[in-house]
Amino acid sequence: MKNFSDQKGKGRKAVDESSGGSGTTSNHSQEVKRKILVVGKDYAFSNGVVDYAANLSQRLGYDIIAMSVNPALGTSGKFFSPYNQHLRGKFTQRAQEAWVPVATELASQGIRSEHVVKFEGLAGAIKDLNHEVKRIDFVITDQGIKDQEITGEIPLPVFSISGYQGEKGMAQEHHETANRGKLITRTIGLGVASVALYAAVFTNSGTVMKYFTKGGIFTALPIITVLAFSFVHGAFASNLWSVLGIEATKKVQPRVAPKRPAQRKRPRPQLHLNA
Amino acid sequence: MHDVGTSVQFIDLTLMSILFLFVVGFIGGLVSGFIGSGGAFVLTPGMMSLGVPGTVAVASNMCHKFPKAMVGAYKRWKYGQVDLKLGLVMAASAGVGVWIGIQLQEWVLAKWGQAGSNLYVSLSFVIILVVVGGYVFFDAWKTSRSGGEEKVSPLATWLQSINLPPMIYFKTANVRISVWFTIPVGFATGMLAATIAVGGFIGVPGMIYVVGAGGLVSSATELVVAFVMGFFGTIKWAMHGQVDIRLTLLILAGSLFGVQLGAIGTTYVKEHMIKVVMGSIMLIVAVSRGLAVPRYLTELKLISVGETTLSIMGTASFIIMCFALSFGALIILGAMWKAKRAETAAKKAGFASI
Repeated sequence: MKNFSDQKGKGRKAVDESSGGSGTTSNHSQEVKRKILVVGKDYAFSNGVVDYAANLSQRLGYDIIAMSVNPALGTSGKFFSPYNQHLRGKFTQRAQEAWVPVATELASQGIRSEHVVKFEGLAGAIKDLNHEVKRIDFVITDQGIKDQEITGEIPLPVFSISGYQGEKGMAQEHHETANRGKLITRTIGLGVASVALYAAVFTNSGTVMKYFTKGGIFTALPIITVLAFSFVHGAFASNLWSVLGIEATKKVQPRVAPKRPAQRKRPRPQLHLNA
Repeated sequence: MHDVGTSVQFIDLTLMSILFLFVVGFIGGLVSGFIGSGGAFVLTPGMMSLGVPGTVAVASNMCHKFPKAMVGAYKRWKYGQVDLKLGLVMAASAGVGVWIGIQLQEWVLAKWGQAGSNLYVSLSFVIILVVVGGYVFFDAWKTSRSGGEEKVSPLATWLQSINLPPMIYFKTANVRISVWFTIPVGFATGMLAATIAVGGFIGVPGMIYVVGAGGLVSSATELVVAFVMGFFGTIKWAMHGQVDIRLTLLILAGSLFGVQLGAIGTTYVKEHMIKVVMGSIMLIVAVSRGLAVPRYLTELKLISVGETTLSIMGTASFIIMCFALSFGALIILGAMWKAKRAETAAKKAGFASI
């Protein structure tokens, strides 16, 4: 990992290419693909922005270039301060360590990614990187970066992840993909149980009909049976529609929040003394 | 009581009858999951055409109805569409309606015989379905022309403004109304259920136009009413040993797939689609039942129509009834398909715009 604030104008060399074979490095022998620039102020990126960028890059066929920016350590005049240098080194190291698992995950999804660190203002860092690296199409900013922080002219469209909502949405999607295997297994299990229940009734239909039509106390038998079938076969049917991708759309009616009675102040006796 | 069951003739099942029950169960379930009722008007005569005695057909249909309604209601409750309190109030008054409805049926039967009873049932079918179904369809058409925005009916707005204690607040339906105005709706639902076996054709429009609940909430809540009524109805029939559990389970096999698909479908479409499907089915069923009227009038010697013509009309009546159900299912699946495609296209466009 290198410090890019002092390597302006060195083009592609500015990008870190030494992430230890973890899949973070780009293969320059391949054609230069379009990129999404993900910008974060912390050394680690939030799950929301990573998931969102990964999702987009998969759909659009883009590479990801992630940039950890620390404006506080880029203040001019303190560059030669040993303490500042120490802090920059520490930030760079932590950012690199935090990026390794993310890069591995992205590589497993077939997404090429790179990671850079800069110590200057957000707008300046984006502009510089845009000069250094070609074909950045747009910027996604991480949580915690306000619109006002990116001032000045940036020749790229900037999108922001609005905190929890984005993280939840993307994380959920990721989670659902991971659980698809479990869903299929459960569906098969319920399907087998459902078939077994039907087989049990229809292979013994003579006995079943004899007792189920007796009436009286035996009235409970057909009722218990249909309820048991509803739970097993109903759960199987529900899971099967989910496996086939037929699920309720998100725009379901929200349950109306219960109206709470307005809090009233209980009248309390008050004593006034007119001295 | 214990011996009644042994005297009942239960049919032998063939592959064709199994497939018939499964498919009709599925389509009936799909319509029920979507509009809250339906399916019974095809299933009962359908089973009878397979050779099942009338009482067994009614009992077996009833026994599949309550678990299906339970699964559908649960699914739609998860989507926030079920008003449990409204459903229970409706079900309680519907119970009284069923009891009165049965008394009325027995009185008609005693006075005019089987043909008179059949004529009473068919005329109730035709009059109620044409009037209510016609209004539901007209309202759906009006809503569709005004951009799909549903409005509370003037009658419901007026009734809600009357402060006649005890007032009751239905949370999900977001309606505050006097209990005295909900009881007649439930009562009429029960009466119709006892007469034509599909109480939802009154229950859902009643909840929409009298109580003032939305189409989605009304159709979902009707499933609660269907569960309660079906449960107690099943106990009554099972006590007499009339339930053929094989038929029930075969219908249930299809309807549990259908009811959940119908419930999922409600989340894809605009609210007035419930009215479109319900109105269409009601009007087509009215035509079907209208074709059955000449037979009963002939049996009562009020008119004279040839046996061949009556037979053709009877067959046409059953085919039109099956068509009503299939047509409803096709509208639901078509609307779902269209909505799903639009959603996918919107998603793609969203990504492309980035």
